Amino acid sequence: MSAAGSGTTTGSAAGSAAGSGAASGAAGVALDGVSVRYPGRGDAALELSLRVEAGEFVGVAGRTGAGKSTLALTAGGFVPRVVRARVAGTVRIGGVDGLASGGSDLAGVVGIVFSTPANQLSGSKPTVREELAFGLENLGVPRSEMDGRIDAVLDRLSIAHLADRDPFALSGGEQQRVAIASIVVMGTSVLILDEPVAQLDPAGSRGVTALMHQLAAEGRAILCAEHDPGVLSATDRCLVLESGRAVALDRPGAALGSAVQGPLGLEPPTLVALAELAGVPPDRAFDEAAVAAALRNLSAPSRARLPEPRGDGSVAALGWSPLRREATPTIAARRLAHRYPGGPEVLHGVDLVVRPGESVAIVGQNGSSKTTLAKHLNGLLRPDSGSVEIDGSDIRSTAAGAIARTVGFVFQNPDDQLFNRSVEREVAFGPHNLGLDGRLARELVDRALELAGLASVRAVNPYDLGLSVRKLVALASVLAMEPAVLVLDEPTTGQDGPGVARIGGIVEAYRRAGRTVIAISHDMEFAASHFERIVVMRAGEIVADAPPAEIFASGSETLLASTGLVAPVCARLGARLGLGSTPTMTDLLARLRTSADR
Amino acid sequence: MSARATGYFRPGASWLHRRNPVTKLMALLWVILAAFLLPPPALVGLVLLVACLAASVGLLWAVVRSLRVPALLFASILLVNAFFYPGAKDALVSFGPLAVTREGLTFGVVSAGRLLVAFSASILFLFTTLADDLLEGLVERGASHRIAFVILSSVQMVPRLADRAGAILEAQQARGLDVGGSLPSRARALVPLAGPLLLGSLIDVRERTFALEARAFGARPNRTAYRLVADPPLDRALRWLIAAATVGVVAVAIARPFG
Repeated sequence: MSAAGSGTTTGSAAGSAAGSGAASGAAGVALDGVSVRYPGRGDAALELSLRVEAGEFVGVAGRTGAGKSTLALTAGGFVPRVVRARVAGTVRIGGVDGLASGGSDLAGVVGIVFSTPANQLSGSKPTVREELAFGLENLGVPRSEMDGRIDAVLDRLSIAHLADRDPFALSGGEQQRVAIASIVVMGTSVLILDEPVAQLDPAGSRGVTALMHQLAAEGRAILCAEHDPGVLSATDRCLVLESGRAVALDRPGAALGSAVQGPLGLEPPTLVALAELAGVPPDRAFDEAAVAAALRNLSAPSRARLPEPRGDGSVAALGWSPLRREATPTIAARRLAHRYPGGPEVLHGVDLVVRPGESVAIVGQNGSSKTTLAKHLNGLLRPDSGSVEIDGSDIRSTAAGAIARTVGFVFQNPDDQLFNRSVEREVAFGPHNLGLDGRLARELVDRALELAGLASVRAVNPYDLGLSVRKLVALASVLAMEPAVLVLDEPTTGQDGPGVARIGGIVEAYRRAGRTVIAISHDMEFAASHFERIVVMRAGEIVADAPPAEIFASGSETLLASTGLVAPVCARLGARLGLGSTPTMTDLLARLRTSADR
Repeated sequence: MSARATGYFRPGASWLHRRNPVTKLMALLWVILAAFLLPPPALVGLVLLVACLAASVGLLWAVVRSLRVPALLFASILLVNAFFYPGAKDALVSFGPLAVTREGLTFGVVSAGRLLVAFSASILFLFTTLADDLLEGLVERGASHRIAFVILSSVQMVPRLADRAGAILEAQQARGLDVGGSLPSRARALVPLAGPLLLGSLIDVRERTFALEARAFGARPNRTAYRLVADPPLDRALRWLIAAATVGVVAVAIARPFG
């Protein structure tokens, strides 16, 4: 609120008229010799020159902390007006001076979307439709135009059915689409997005990507920071940042290729890696048909020379065995039904048995009640009918705090639990609650920090770390309890490549130690690579439950699409090549190698 | 997810729901003014008026039910005055050293009656008026839309804080925190529960600033409104009627000797 009027001494009707006039002349974003320094930090968070022309869709890649968000805030006109920082250089946004202009000049010129939905909503509107109208009201758009514009955007994001719902009663993924719609409806010539699809199911993510592509084709300038290769593949050019500086700005197939990513210690996206193996040129590296054709045409000797896939090394490196001996139980949901007070039934008689040492990924569209099911497994929610059993005994009358000894649950939002002044103290919270102290507790904390890769930040305040690192802190704080069953809700959201690999490694290590892991995920590659069993949910029911090779076999596309899912890229390629079901890169390369023998 | 708390609003399409919120607000203020300024016998009429209005839209029982808590207040006002009215002499019934006095009983009944009218009319108003409509109606008549926004977002803040507190409770229980049992164990649970709520709220404020900036809140002087607040001719007539009745109530109050 207080920032709304800051620095807008010239904010008048004349000022905003000049702003929109300039926008129509010179749309796009131009950063020239920009450097951004946050107070109290030594190094510049960003040192960059970049142009995004009208009609262009530019992606921004780079590991966590590389400066992607700072770039988004700068190009969105938030630095230094809303976020305090020392800035040098010039920033032009839609023809307006991005560093000196007030909110009245930038309003209607640039729109910015962030990754977490709840705080992008106005928090004052009772329906989605009115939430979208909020920005239009502030821009002074005539009432008669509003419904038309709102309906058009709701339609483009496939959320027309949510129009009359309360924004705060929606699932995270649905809210995020409402947040995106709320910015798009304002019709700005420049659109900045900071990890817009982190919370979305694969179908939602594809929909948003297609929308950005269309908006660029209609003449908007779009800059989008993302980890998701699906989004980056649709960009015209992709900027790669490292320590606030541009490492590459090229077609996505080249910018995300191993020539650029390798020296940064990062892996190219799976499709690009396969394209490189098959000799597909960078500008077609994201063209699935081209990659499939090139793989098909590989000679038998080249097929036989295909390498073992990357990535496995980092996973194997996470050796771990539990300090606390505890037998892993069977956990079972029987005819489980649940409704939230005053709402409709959201779980309809679900049966699920997870045996000791299994790893199970629960997948399904936003709002399919995955989290509701998972929260029953440790007694946070109690069934309306049916039961949950741990080793055959009903947990109906056991307190959630006591079940936590056996079943650990890591929430999607780490900020709902972090409160200590250092990472180490935070991680020690769980063992302390279990009554463990002294040397054993210290050792549990050390091992959890090591496993989550947080040893170097153990003395740091969690809130000085980025959201993706805070998620790892929350994970470590549960790992330190060494629960026999580990339940993870969307563990990979917002993680960069190394972060996802780390979490995959933890899942593998846990399973190797004979313990159970259950994870909710929208990341099909992650699910296919690290879990032996996949449970597909749709509208409060389990519609499929099988190993990845069966779930992602060709012929299952309709079932997957019915709940917002898309098979991982290697499964799609395996189907194209008639190699059978190959959900992971390991599977695909192995089939290609053996197919050379025949 | 909790259902959205729109205050006390009961969705409906009755004739009272369809009135312009500003008309209803004026009527409410008139009833409260009349309760305090008109001679006490008028209270009977005012109670009947509110009851008839509530009955006409099928909310009489709901209004009565929601008076359960304030009823304690009414009763205590009645009792305290009946027994302890200062300077009262005319004792009606005596209980040892205590006596119910005529002056005290009269004053108690009138005071409790005034509060009863004010409470029940306010509740009926809240039952039939959506906060969003009322504030938009006031903004149309020149109230600041910034202040209206602050009020509306505060109204929504309450259920959101409750949701958040629930999420924190779950997250800490999942890390083995014992939230039940003995008093010391409950006290120990306070920091892990209040800490994230406070820190989260601070982060929330910062991000709310982002959200409002991104949506051009307060950027232009010529704000428009999406929500249409109906204002049929009947309402305009009603408002003139209420204005005239207000003049009448004030005139009666001035003409009547105090005491």
